[in-house]
Amino acid sequence: MQGMNLWQQLVYYFTHNGQYILDQFNRHFLISIYGVIIAAIVGIPIGVYISRHRHLAAWVVGAANVIQTVPSLAMVSIIMLGLGLGVNTVILTVFLYSLLPIIKNTDTGMRNVNPDILDAGKGMGMTRWQILRQIELPLSLSVIMAGLRNALVLAIGVTAIGSFVGAGGLGDIIIRGTNATSGGAIILAGALPTALMAIISDGVLGYLERHFAARTQ
Amino acid sequence: MKKTLFNKLTFLFAGVLAVVFLGGCSFSWPGLAGTSADTIKIGSQNTTEQQIMANMIQQMIQHYDKDTPTTILNNLGSGNVSFQAQKRGDTDMTAIRYNGTDYQTVLDLSGETDPKIVNDQVFKLMQLRYHMTYFPSYGFADTYQFMVSQKYAKANNLKTISDMKRVAPDMKVGIDQIWANRRGDGYSAFQNTYGFSFGHVYPMQIGLVYDALEAGKMDAVLGYSTDGRIRSYNLKLLQDDKHFFPPYKASVVVNDAALKAHPKLKGILSRLNGKINLTTMQELNYQVDNNLVEPAVAAQQFLEKHNYFEKGAD
Amino acid sequence: MVTFLNQYGGQLMQELGEHIYISAVALALGVIVAVPLGILLTRAKKIAGFVIGLTSVLQTIPAMALLAMMIPIFGIGTTPAIVALFIYSLMPILRNTYIGMSDVNPNLLDAAKGMGMSNWQSIKWVEFPQAAGVIMSGIRLSGTYVIAWTALASYIGAGGLGDMIFNGLNLYRGDLILGGSIPAIILALVVDWLLGLVEKKVTPATTQEV
Repeated sequence: MQGMNLWQQLVYYFTHNGQYILDQFNRHFLISIYGVIIAAIVGIPIGVYISRHRHLAAWVVGAANVIQTVPSLAMVSIIMLGLGLGVNTVILTVFLYSLLPIIKNTDTGMRNVNPDILDAGKGMGMTRWQILRQIELPLSLSVIMAGLRNALVLAIGVTAIGSFVGAGGLGDIIIRGTNATSGGAIILAGALPTALMAIISDGVLGYLERHFAARTQ
Repeated sequence: MKKTLFNKLTFLFAGVLAVVFLGGCSFSWPGLAGTSADTIKIGSQNTTEQQIMANMIQQMIQHYDKDTPTTILNNLGSGNVSFQAQKRGDTDMTAIRYNGTDYQTVLDLSGETDPKIVNDQVFKLMQLRYHMTYFPSYGFADTYQFMVSQKYAKANNLKTISDMKRVAPDMKVGIDQIWANRRGDGYSAFQNTYGFSFGHVYPMQIGLVYDALEAGKMDAVLGYSTDGRIRSYNLKLLQDDKHFFPPYKASVVVNDAALKAHPKLKGILSRLNGKINLTTMQELNYQVDNNLVEPAVAAQQFLEKHNYFEKGAD
Repeated sequence: MVTFLNQYGGQLMQELGEHIYISAVALALGVIVAVPLGILLTRAKKIAGFVIGLTSVLQTIPAMALLAMMIPIFGIGTTPAIVALFIYSLMPILRNTYIGMSDVNPNLLDAAKGMGMSNWQSIKWVEFPQAAGVIMSGIRLSGTYVIAWTALASYIGAGGLGDMIFNGLNLYRGDLILGGSIPAIILALVVDWLLGLVEKKVTPATTQEV
């Protein structure tokens, strides 16, 4: 391998370990997305709730903010002490980091809905649930989507760190690269797909965000 | 129109779930369900040979017991981490345990260097105290070994560890990240036995020590005997003349509970007993450390070459 | 607790020092580069979109990937860590500087021009003071990021509190994990709070939310 330059090594590595990289890529993505989905299931209702109960908003967002400030390596390690090594620890960490952007954006989105439209809804005799489902949520969708986008990009980074507690994913490849002779190529083979996953997720969710924004205007 | 927007949201959500579901199935992961109760969880430390053996075990189980999901918990930082993980059930087995290490650091014993006695004691006590079964060795041992370049050995007339005593105060020595703090066979015990210490020791990722030696940044390193780079760099191994390091025969160690829950497991793992000698392990390690082959791929190629040890013998 | 501090107190202080040093240098470099660049971009709106887009892509790259990519280029140690963290700190500062400077009330700019101020004087006396609060909130965001990622930088040999956390992970020692994590968390919260105070202080009354 010594005869090849870094890029040739990288190509060689991809051609010889393609399926393995793909497997880790998928695993990485799944861990990230599971954490974000659970956070959405929990966070969106919380966001809706605090948009109606303003006195709670500062408190909830403040708490989520503190969680967000905790360095991710510290968070993963501490949760590992409780939940043990493996995937669960990482999904819980991703979940915690995803809460803030999702709650905050849901809250913002709900509060930015034009009160005239809400009144119109009420005037038509819609129930609160109908107003939520048919007016408020659809109109806040773009802002909520922006929160999910932040959360997912963050999640992909957190999952990379999850390799240190045995969860697997592309971080495994990066870590192994630091152990091998001419590991530079292996490091890149892990780091580039990780970066790509984050950039593409950001792009796709950004597109959806703009798409929904255009629809509601 | 608002209605269609909401439908879109529902669709999107369903779409995401579908992708998640399909993704989980088509690549035959236990859909990340390393969480499901029947998954066999294989612990692997962060060294190359651990990762190769963990993948070999996973592929053997997939080959012989298709319905049982498996997962690998990778990158565990030391024998202590992998032991604790296994003890609390985070893993069902550790891909490789070294009996000399467990003798000293897990079982907290010392004084015995006879390989056979160490072997028997470790087997008995791991079963008795922790309900873990030590399988017969894969067929190789991975021993701590001091190594220097041929040139340095010649210049200073080094053949044994004791020979280093004269030059030790000026020596720069690369070691792995845990040896300095290790009980039993660590640096402080080494100083007691051999009666000297080195000028400087540099803890680093074990994979880096061979290159550091080859590049002349270190005078000597404490490497692992199974590393393929020892041969490719033609490093000089120094003999452990005071028999300080115990034998570190490599075996898979499985929780008894897992053997009970998966009756086929014992038979599958036993197919690897005695099948991998030192040269084979060095070659496999070399594939991974030097030739850009992933442990999973190296393991697969090896198993395919030997037909997954179909008849139990090769 | 007391025995832990007795045994590891010295190591802890040293790692805390390294941690602060690495974070501070990376953040300072980020400020030195990003603030002038952000101001420059308000005078070159054509390339502004491109530059900000590029830095936001860099920002998207997971820290672990970015740190690891430094190894083939710069090797192991403090320098590659600082370079990676510097790249991270750029984006929030650059974006906020640009937004802050662009959002200055046009009437104020006209007034400045009317008074015969040069471009540079307008930036110095009018726009920058008006934008200071927004710029500071970008610096604050970068500050917390940088502290968080410095913990990870121990992995490429940079030192800092990450050393103790990784040691704990590698030896399965809860005391070391907590001993490294808790100071890192406190450091992040304190810096966030301090920079928040500065942010309040420099935000001009006219742009504060009513």
